Amino acid sequence: MGVGKLKFRDKLKDESEDIYILALESSCDETAAAVNKNGLKVLANVVSSQVDLHKKFGGVVPEIASRKHLELLLPVIDQALAEAGIDFEDLDAVASTSGPGLVGGLLVTLTAAKTISLALNIPLIGVNHIAGHIYANFIANPEIKKPLLCLTISGGHTDLLYFEDLRGYKILGRTVDDAAGEAFDKISRFLGLGYPGGPAIEKAARAGNEMAVDFPRADLGDSYNFSFSGLKTAVMNYVNNEEQRGNELKINDLAASFQKAVVDSLTANLLQAVEKYDVESVVLSGGVAANQRLRSYIEEKLEEHNLKLYYPPLELCTDNAAMIGAVAYYQYLERDFAPLSISADPSLKL
Amino acid sequence: MLTLAIDTSTDNLGLALMESGQLRGEYNLSLKRQHSEKLLPLIEQIFELLGIQPRELNGVAVATGPGSFTGLRIGITTAKLLGRIFSIPVKGISTLEIMAAGIAEPYLLPLIDARRKRVYCSFYQNLRTANDNFLKEIYQPTAISIAELPELLSNYKEKEITLIGEKKKEVRRVLEANAFSTRLAEAESDLPRAAVLARLGENYFKTGQRDDIYQLKPAYLKKPQAEINWQQKYGNN
Repeated sequence: MGVGKLKFRDKLKDESEDIYILALESSCDETAAAVNKNGLKVLANVVSSQVDLHKKFGGVVPEIASRKHLELLLPVIDQALAEAGIDFEDLDAVASTSGPGLVGGLLVTLTAAKTISLALNIPLIGVNHIAGHIYANFIANPEIKKPLLCLTISGGHTDLLYFEDLRGYKILGRTVDDAAGEAFDKISRFLGLGYPGGPAIEKAARAGNEMAVDFPRADLGDSYNFSFSGLKTAVMNYVNNEEQRGNELKINDLAASFQKAVVDSLTANLLQAVEKYDVESVVLSGGVAANQRLRSYIEEKLEEHNLKLYYPPLELCTDNAAMIGAVAYYQYLERDFAPLSISADPSLKL
Repeated sequence: MLTLAIDTSTDNLGLALMESGQLRGEYNLSLKRQHSEKLLPLIEQIFELLGIQPRELNGVAVATGPGSFTGLRIGITTAKLLGRIFSIPVKGISTLEIMAAGIAEPYLLPLIDARRKRVYCSFYQNLRTANDNFLKEIYQPTAISIAELPELLSNYKEKEITLIGEKKKEVRRVLEANAFSTRLAEAESDLPRAAVLARLGENYFKTGQRDDIYQLKPAYLKKPQAEINWQQKYGNN
């Protein structure tokens, strides 16, 4: 990201000084504001959820969400500042999620952050929401040792990252086709197990035999990239063949065998990276990180390397602004500021 | 007294600074869907060029639509935050009122395209005094099909109605086919001009009128489509 003009109110601080950041988030159906001190210390974390508003529609309605974000914006900011016991004038920077998410919603807090930046003459920081979910780990477990590897997996992305410290990361691998969570959703729907696919497959798999069918694991050579579309096709072909032969489908076995194939693919790349990079810890994030089979399998494998696996606690898994503020602090130290012309990017990648 | 005017309700991005009755600067740029990228840089620029600091502001006037929902939220969010940070008054003003307030004719029909042969409009009578124009709102802002306009305005057939906005020619055809007498606003009046918004804002602030920034919202004039669909399916509860 390019910096427009460096002419902020105060001299930019370094990590020896206290840095206060107001962070805002409105990428989906939570309107949130937080105040972070020096990144991982959360002075206020206000989340106003609109979940009930969207329930009757069976999913988030973007226009309804955007209208609600505008209504809740000032109240959540006021509450965050009050809880943190600071005023606008005490802020060193302001941050907002800039993507991915619903563009109409993103624009509410991004515009607010731009206005705060202009009015107070402090840096503006645009934060990637996915990075936020990773940094939720570091808020919850500040003792995590670096360097570390992070596997971040959801319905929208599957990335393997290397962190030397918390100031930035290197992307080692990502999916070349479907995200892991997307594969769970598609296969769950195909097997008639419903949505969201992750929990549905996991539940069915508990009563199944994961050795029942030997589905393929994509091997993309030396790269750390992932691929799940071949696996998806293999499951569909298998089911079609069995149906044509008139064989009864054992859904639980299929769910378990599919889940194990995904877990194996994810774990294989992670372990390959563990061998190559001398890391002190491993971190999981994203919706698929909630999968118990994945967690226990990776934990088991990491024990052989004397490595501990971290994953976010439930209360930091939902969208919040504290995680955005944590990322923003490290971007501040790197002087990774956004110009006032930054726009929301609904499909922003890491 | 320094008033900033912000209008992101239509394709026009309007910005103006007025200082105690004197217009210091005005932008009216037809930017379509670029309000998010352009608004704050242009605000920064207008302050810089005029050598004014944002904290010198005494009030913010913002257009509340009707218009593009996303565009409206960008302008209103900016106004809310400026009001909150500097503890200055904010006034939301109808985009249709801005269009009408720029014209010294007796009967005014500002029009904004609402797509699918519909317009957002309101209808004003201009009660002129020696020094001022005072708009009396005869019909408040509404979304209406162009074909229904002759019925809405049927009591004003003997009056000359001034049509304002990009849809003025299409509306003129329909009204004249129904024996109305109309005139078209000049081209430069078809936009909600930012300077007019600034003047209206300053007038409101002079008489102590302001909006609660916590309640301020766009004149959507339309429920979200999902809500409409849901009500059609399940009724009104």
